[in-house]
Amino acid sequence: MASISLHTNHTLPSLLHSQTPKPTFSQKISLLSRSSQSQFHGLKLSNSTLLSFPSSSSVKSSILAKVTEGAIPPAFTLRDQDGKTVSLSKFKGKPTVVYFYPADESPGCTKQACAFRDSYEKFKKAGAEVVGISGDNSASHKAFAQKYKLPYTLLSDEGNKVRKEWGVPSDLFGALPGRQTYVLDKNGVCRLIYNNQFQPEKHIDETLKFLKTV
Amino acid sequence: MAVLNQRTPTPKLLPRHGRISHKPLLPPRLFHCSATAPPKNRRLNSKTLILNPVTSRPPVINDPSLKSTWTHRAWVTGGCSTVLISLAKSISASADSHIWVQPILAGLFGYVMADLGSGIYHWGIDNYGGAETPVFGAQIDAFQGHHKWPWTITRRQFANNLHALAKVVTFIVLPINLLTNDPVLLGFVGMCSGCIMFSQQFHAWAHMTKSRLPPMVVKLQDGGVLVSRLQHAEHHRAPYNNNYCIVSGVWNEVLDGLSFFEALEMVIYFKFGVRPRSWTEPNSDWTEDPETTTFVS
Repeated sequence: MASISLHTNHTLPSLLHSQTPKPTFSQKISLLSRSSQSQFHGLKLSNSTLLSFPSSSSVKSSILAKVTEGAIPPAFTLRDQDGKTVSLSKFKGKPTVVYFYPADESPGCTKQACAFRDSYEKFKKAGAEVVGISGDNSASHKAFAQKYKLPYTLLSDEGNKVRKEWGVPSDLFGALPGRQTYVLDKNGVCRLIYNNQFQPEKHIDETLKFLKTV
Repeated sequence: MAVLNQRTPTPKLLPRHGRISHKPLLPPRLFHCSATAPPKNRRLNSKTLILNPVTSRPPVINDPSLKSTWTHRAWVTGGCSTVLISLAKSISASADSHIWVQPILAGLFGYVMADLGSGIYHWGIDNYGGAETPVFGAQIDAFQGHHKWPWTITRRQFANNLHALAKVVTFIVLPINLLTNDPVLLGFVGMCSGCIMFSQQFHAWAHMTKSRLPPMVVKLQDGGVLVSRLQHAEHHRAPYNNNYCIVSGVWNEVLDGLSFFEALEMVIYFKFGVRPRSWTEPNSDWTEDPETTTFVS
């Protein structure tokens, strides 16, 4: 099972929205649990649970930095597979699919990359751009993109700074970087968040399905 | 012996498999056979800590390295003895205590867990280390060779095939037999260790054609008691990262369905920076040899 978060005009305000009032202690625990949940074959695994008591700094970073539906994600500038710097603002004006994945050449990431490649024309038809982000360096991205003939941009988030700023949850109690996809509209607002570590092809299906509705 | 085109679309498991000889061999006679579906490139990890090409050579007719030696037979005797003692003690203690259900259930649990253990061990030596790895090097090299010449295992003599596992079982089970009289524990240990020791025989049977197998073995394979030929053939096909269990195979669907080994590989990669062999393109050492030798009986 995967988790999908959608922003529409009819949703109730999320507790995770950056404009909510400062949460009480019990809300902080609940917030943190929800903010760090990810899906693993239907078994929700959190890197913090309702019983854990995270430090105040990690709670703060979770509340303030996480990208949620309806929010504008933090800007970034990263290097692509050719070593050139690319900013998120470059993609403003068109829908953008930003997908965070664990590592180049791992089985799931390869399946996901190839699935985005194979459906790239559909994304183009929807007017959308695709951007993949992982902690690998530009050389690794270049080799990965060349090997699998990936037609879209791969960005190098060395140190996983952007991953943390966007609040991409980890899996297996923090042992694995999470696999999460964001769909931003042409104004740069996050409209869809999809998380699924071990069914990577579903990211393509869900994002395409969503793009058809907007 | 039938000669099959190596591009046979359905996996025909011809009788000749085994671990590979490490000794220099005579030039092979060329026959064609395929123990599995047509070989695809097996991915080889270019970033493993130890990079070792397969050092084995293709086996030939009457290859001495496939025959059992007295040392092999001694270890298998030792292994079987410890297993039988464990089971006998379990039965005896059960009779004395008038408890049967728990030891029998423990034995069944041992059989089930042996399959899981075989899968985890098989995954480990298929993906990490090499011939130079301490303790496990010979087995790692043998298993790499097995992927290249999968049919050889069926030509390996019984004790030759089992002696490595029999050695481990002897060392582990003997102290347990001496230290405990608990029928439940002994039932578990006896079944688990026995299944692990014989897993190489089950593995060999999974590489043989139905016509060459005893009818009872075929029935056990078809009934899911022993790993089936079809299920194990999947392990020898791209992407070579599934169906690792070789006792009954009951865990294969569960582990593969949960992406268990993929998750483990990812965790190991992110914790230790080591990629498994299954992540990268294979070299010729890993791919099934298309010009494999068959043995004419």
